[in-house]
Amino acid sequence: MTAAWRKLRVLFSTRFAEMVEYRAEVVIWMLSGTLSLVMMLVWMAQAASAPDGKINGYTPAEFASYFLGIWVTGQLLVVWVAWELDVEVRQGTLSPKLLRPLDPMWEHYAAHVAERVVRFPAMLGLVALFAWLAGASFSTDPLHYLAALGLALLGFSARFLYEYTIGLLAFWTESSTSFQELVWLLYAALGGMFAPLAFYPGWVQAVAVWTPFPYMLGLPAQLLAGKASLADAGRGALVLGAWLVVFWFVRLAVWRLGLRKYGAVGA
Amino acid sequence: MTRYLRLMRLFTGATLSAQLEYRANFVGAILASLGEVGVALLGIGVLFGQPGTDTVGGWTFHEALLVTGFFMLTEGVISVFIQPNMSKIAEAVRTGSMDFTLLKPLDAQFGVSTRHLNVLRVGDLLIGLGLIAYAASHLTLTPGGFAGAAVLYLSAVVIVYCIWLALSTTAFWFVKTQNASELFNGVFGAARFPVTAFPVPIRALLTFVVPVAFITTVPAQALTGTLTPALALASPLVAAAAFVLTRLFWKKAVASYTSASS
Repeated sequence: MTAAWRKLRVLFSTRFAEMVEYRAEVVIWMLSGTLSLVMMLVWMAQAASAPDGKINGYTPAEFASYFLGIWVTGQLLVVWVAWELDVEVRQGTLSPKLLRPLDPMWEHYAAHVAERVVRFPAMLGLVALFAWLAGASFSTDPLHYLAALGLALLGFSARFLYEYTIGLLAFWTESSTSFQELVWLLYAALGGMFAPLAFYPGWVQAVAVWTPFPYMLGLPAQLLAGKASLADAGRGALVLGAWLVVFWFVRLAVWRLGLRKYGAVGA
Repeated sequence: MTRYLRLMRLFTGATLSAQLEYRANFVGAILASLGEVGVALLGIGVLFGQPGTDTVGGWTFHEALLVTGFFMLTEGVISVFIQPNMSKIAEAVRTGSMDFTLLKPLDAQFGVSTRHLNVLRVGDLLIGLGLIAYAASHLTLTPGGFAGAAVLYLSAVVIVYCIWLALSTTAFWFVKTQNASELFNGVFGAARFPVTAFPVPIRALLTFVVPVAFITTVPAQALTGTLTPALALASPLVAAAAFVLTRLFWKKAVASYTSASS
């Protein structure tokens, strides 16, 4: 147990030091993910020009709350591991990592978590500014924040695992990162980055509830905006937990197959 | 002039044969293009899917689709012609291979801007043109509108090129420029919607501060015949001004270049 704990501490503190070096970049990365902000502005203008000032029961301020919630949650869910794996497999820098008595996945996971710590303060500052400019208001119940954070953590872990699996496809194909773009599309669409899920056609909603995406992105945003209950959060956590188990085993299977392939080509 | 055209043909031939060696990348490029158009279409699809919504920012569905078409077309222009060249400027400055470009008896800005080509993303160009054609077939357009849109889109491309070149030229002072282009992509994402779909203060920002409006909204307005003469004039003027300014900036950067070793 102590050995594992020490490994974890060293992993995290080295990755944290690395991420602090990149702090200027972290702010730029935050600002470059603008799709949810663009959608927020468009929906706000739509609602403002509607005859009763609402679209599907959402006022401009409610749109602002929802999409800023999406923006914040999206910031917590950022995963870039597929790009790194792609480079590591292609350039062979994966090989020395295989000699260590630790699955290389944990190193990436620690880097992502450490980056979140660097990102968090800047994110709070920006969201406060945006909320003030757009007139958004957030839930006043501290439990909602805890639940949103918990869901975001589960969602991040699930996303990390499936993105890692996609990255591992680099063992077989050169275009693994383009699969990632397609999966991002599913994540953004079903997660509710374009609009709250209730705005989608019924059949899309019926499909979406079986996927992890609405619970990792849309649900935390609704909690922050004060539009979802703790019971919803509990149900979402269960679905996400189930998906987490699935992704865990898929990742493990693909990793083992991939290593065999990697070894076979003599790397 | 003919010398430059001949060089462009040579460059194109060279990059084409280099790229077609990697056939697997082709599949990846198609997937990526599909992803791009998916995001663009979902964005306006959900907006117009709401009951009682006929227009967004005063644009009907097919008119807004024109803007999406111009957006995809511009994404294509960026990924086929602009980005492959511009992303190499920073690398050339860092490794010192910029020396060779500057030593050639050829305008250096032309050299860095036309050397590479990403043919794999031609799909984006086709998708963009296809969307424009589909949307146009549902609208009544005039030949004058077409001509106007073509001219205004040309200035749009010049504006996009100038923004990218200006951002990439900063590589002469800062080693990394990737982040600047990330930031541009973030702001450019707003161009998938007509600029009137945004709240009024943002509209001004998208027209005058970051001239995103000139890139997709203005050509689409020219097609539908709703363009005001002021904007029609402003677009080529902005393009010309941007070109002169980035040209001066480029000259200044090259003058201060001291190669990688010193």
